[in-house]
Amino acid sequence: MTLAAMSTFLAPPGARRALAAVGVALLAGLLLIACVSDEPLRAWLILLTGPLPELRLAADGSWHWRRLVRFGTVLQDTVTLSLLGLAVLIPFRARQFALGADGQLFLGALGGALVGLAWSGPGWMALPLAAMAAMLAGGLWGAATGILKWRCGANEMVVSLMLNLVAIEIYRLAIMTWLRDPGAGFPATPFLPPQASFAPLIANTGVSAMLAAAPLAVLAVALLLGRTTLGYEIRVTGAAPGFAATAGLPVGRAMILSMALGGVLAGLAGFHIGHAVLGRLPVDLAPGLGFEGLLVALLARHQPRAIIGAAFFYAWLRAGGQAMERSTDVAREIALVLQALVIVLVMAERWPWRKESA
Amino acid sequence: MIAAVLVLLALLRAATPILYAALGGLLSELGGKINVALEGLMLVAAFSAVIATIFAPPGLPLALLPWWGCAAGLLAALLLAALLAVLHLECRADLVVAGIALNLLAAGLTVFLLAELAGDKGSTARFATPALPALHVGGLDGWPLLNLLINGEAGRGHHVLVLGAPLLAFCLWLFLAHTRAGAWLRAAGEHPAAAHAAGIPLRRMHYLALLGSGLLAGLGGVYLAMGYLTLFQADMTAGRGYLALAAIFVGRRSLPGVCAAALLFGAAGVLATRLGSLDLPPQLLAMLPPLTTIAALAAPGWRRLDSSKRRKQA
Repeated sequence: MTLAAMSTFLAPPGARRALAAVGVALLAGLLLIACVSDEPLRAWLILLTGPLPELRLAADGSWHWRRLVRFGTVLQDTVTLSLLGLAVLIPFRARQFALGADGQLFLGALGGALVGLAWSGPGWMALPLAAMAAMLAGGLWGAATGILKWRCGANEMVVSLMLNLVAIEIYRLAIMTWLRDPGAGFPATPFLPPQASFAPLIANTGVSAMLAAAPLAVLAVALLLGRTTLGYEIRVTGAAPGFAATAGLPVGRAMILSMALGGVLAGLAGFHIGHAVLGRLPVDLAPGLGFEGLLVALLARHQPRAIIGAAFFYAWLRAGGQAMERSTDVAREIALVLQALVIVLVMAERWPWRKESA
Repeated sequence: MIAAVLVLLALLRAATPILYAALGGLLSELGGKINVALEGLMLVAAFSAVIATIFAPPGLPLALLPWWGCAAGLLAALLLAALLAVLHLECRADLVVAGIALNLLAAGLTVFLLAELAGDKGSTARFATPALPALHVGGLDGWPLLNLLINGEAGRGHHVLVLGAPLLAFCLWLFLAHTRAGAWLRAAGEHPAAAHAAGIPLRRMHYLALLGSGLLAGLGGVYLAMGYLTLFQADMTAGRGYLALAAIFVGRRSLPGVCAAALLFGAAGVLATRLGSLDLPPQLLAMLPPLTTIAALAAPGWRRLDSSKRRKQA
């Protein structure tokens, strides 16, 4: 096997380009840091290695991990971003530019918390019911975008963005008026009861049994898209809408269901944030995570199997950026710049100065 | 009467940034290239305008300072639009996806540079930055209502960019309807193959559409940072670029329609702030503008479907 063939086997062309884009973007990051920082190399290295846990020999001769919390943050964010990436990916495969993951996440978190706080039946049912409520809330909100597009021809991108704003206000309204814990120092819901929240696997982090949700969701979406009739309809609707309509495929149903399923996954991401990461819902939960899910889906080039890797990379950059901000003079928002820069590089289908090969 | 005029003026101010971006979006949409990056273009222009005035060259006369910022803002928007155009036209990136990605890039870059250059992640409030001048018409003191209408509150006059918006809409109409380049641009958008066969330089028209929209959206951003407010805030466009996009669809890609839609969205924003005095939860009021947008987007389609059904039944 030649070297070239081996590298193609190890990494398909799309993945290789994504890796190259990541490399170039990270170097561009070094350049950008050099423009603003007094110690660019150190800041850059912390950005890249900050989330790495450290194995240290303690004084008493026993080994123990340091900085495990930061690595735990990476893992917990990987779960959130994987779910959000899948939530954006499914409608994108139907060529629906629905950007509603943010609002669906808020409503999912709210739905899950409502059930988690109100449930008084058998304890083992609390978590599954809360998860279902979260997925239902997200799914319905996602379907609303699809229905408005199918029934009224309203542009899905604008509608989903507007529905995001509405969803966030519903979330804030619900917490401020009905769910607010008067004992909390800031406006937030009461803590979820232990039966309705996940126990952390790593102390002081949100890493929990939900860690399994990311690969399971990837598997489910891969099977859905690759092995089911609905998945076929979604893919054909995206790849060749004219053909799909002429062939009598239920284009409208595929469109609406793709957005609803995306909403289900975004709702699950909200459930993860409420029940595993935070344990309660603050009113000022920051919007914008849905857009990071979008970047994850783009970096994965709409392939479910690449989602976890892309999500892990972005979660790593987030945590690295925070570590860098704490110990150097560079703001953590550089992670956002690099995340978007990677996408801009990945998106280019060809480079103008290169001759076309095919 | 006075109150009505005051509301009208507030409405015009709120609609102006949306109108600029919507005109830009319309230009590229008519050229066959939907520009989703309006939000990012506005944001970058607003940021660059303010930062350029903070770091202005020392010898610059004070009167020129706002214009220097305005030029910097427009240049930044033009550069971002050029990046979008090159990505799409040369590197064959999907235009919609590229536009969304550039919005995210703009959001991250402005906050990062804000933190690094101004030392504050929220805004440039601790620097005094100028506004572009307002135009004042003298000799109207005898007619208070007319004076209020033409010179604004306390006779301060209207911001040049507020006055410039309808002027620009008129110029855009002249360009699209009465110049050769405008006709070419529309042809390139309507039927690229036919336009190409007729010898119209397609690529140049597509660049013109995208770069032109960058410039117009940039004006909207400059107005936000040097007129509507006189500072830059993180995410200060707050979705106006997407509202402009909605205005194009609501206005059915016609110039008067787009202007009317931009005014409608401005009105929804003003209404939400005016109703703030009522005893309603603020969250309900904040839902008003997005719900208006959804209704405006959905309503025409609803009617169309109904009428086609009726025709089938008949």
